Amino acid sequence: MLASRVGVAATRSAAKPFMAQNLPKLALAARVPATQYRPIATVKHTPAEGDQILAKQRLNRPVSPHLGIYKMNQTWFGSSAWTRITGCTLSGVAYLYFGSYLLAPLFGWHLESASLAAAFAGLPMLVNGGIKFLLGFPFAMHFFNGVKHLVLDTGRGYAKSTLVRVETAAWSFGILGGLFLAFGL
Amino acid sequence: MASLMRPTTLLRQTALASRSAAFARPAAVRAAAFQTSSRKSAILPAGPQVIQGGVNDPAPIPTPSAAHGSYHWAFERLVAAGLVPLTIAPFAAGSLNPTLDAIFCGTLLIHSHMGFQQVVIDYIPQKGWPKLRKGATWLLNLVTLMVGVGLYEFETNDVGITEGVKRVWTAKAGTE
Repeated sequence: MLASRVGVAATRSAAKPFMAQNLPKLALAARVPATQYRPIATVKHTPAEGDQILAKQRLNRPVSPHLGIYKMNQTWFGSSAWTRITGCTLSGVAYLYFGSYLLAPLFGWHLESASLAAAFAGLPMLVNGGIKFLLGFPFAMHFFNGVKHLVLDTGRGYAKSTLVRVETAAWSFGILGGLFLAFGL
Repeated sequence: MASLMRPTTLLRQTALASRSAAFARPAAVRAAAFQTSSRKSAILPAGPQVIQGGVNDPAPIPTPSAAHGSYHWAFERLVAAGLVPLTIAPFAAGSLNPTLDAIFCGTLLIHSHMGFQQVVIDYIPQKGWPKLRKGATWLLNLVTLMVGVGLYEFETNDVGITEGVKRVWTAKAGTE
């Protein structure tokens, strides 16, 4: 026999673990049937428990790269996200105000338009302008993006160059429109 | 057929070895941690995972409903399109007469309610947080109703939304 073959055979027999080498001897000694005997321990699970194991395992699955790999102007400055943000801001403020207006008599507050106008006029100019910009910018953004989404709903304007240009136009309109509404009116 | 008498191949040897060592711990598969990127995720981790039915059941198809599907979509777009001239008019004419102002208020309320509904539907999935979703839906309905009554009160007891915004916006310290 060749020396290399002896080496391979020797490693293979050395690699055999204890059980595989001695199980036949042990089985004969213990009078255990030689075929179809698998020394495995099992745990009884209800289907619900099995589902729980599966559900927990799902949380450990790797997540494909998503928001972090795309350009910021699509993820953080995307017009549909900002349509929602500005819409929620405007409606949130409106809901808060009109809800408080309804409940004001219960608490003795004065939230009529006259008292609101008086309080607003008393604020320093920069604070005044700042609050107006914080409301005017969402209004301008939401208006422009709303019209944009209605046009997109008709099926027009999906060319890549058009989308990029309209996105830049939306931000320009929003910021400039907000500044105009805050300081120009 | 498997037999203890026959010597096994290397793969099955290792399988037997691991199984024999499994006498000490339960054979149920433990949750294994995979390699994940060390960069912080830009969005929140997955919500609670729920398995409905068995693992071999196909994904459930929602029951088709035109009221909640195409009609809802068309109505939402009609309301949004209707708001465009209603919003431009006050800038052009200075303010709106009470009837037009009331129509503006109602349309704005419906538009806001539908917008908030979309937010609730998008961020609170039914399967993950059923009670929170139901609670948020009912809270939104209640708040919209309350704001509707508030808008009515504002229209009747006060100057109306367009005139009100105009007065607050152009309020100057000298004129009171």
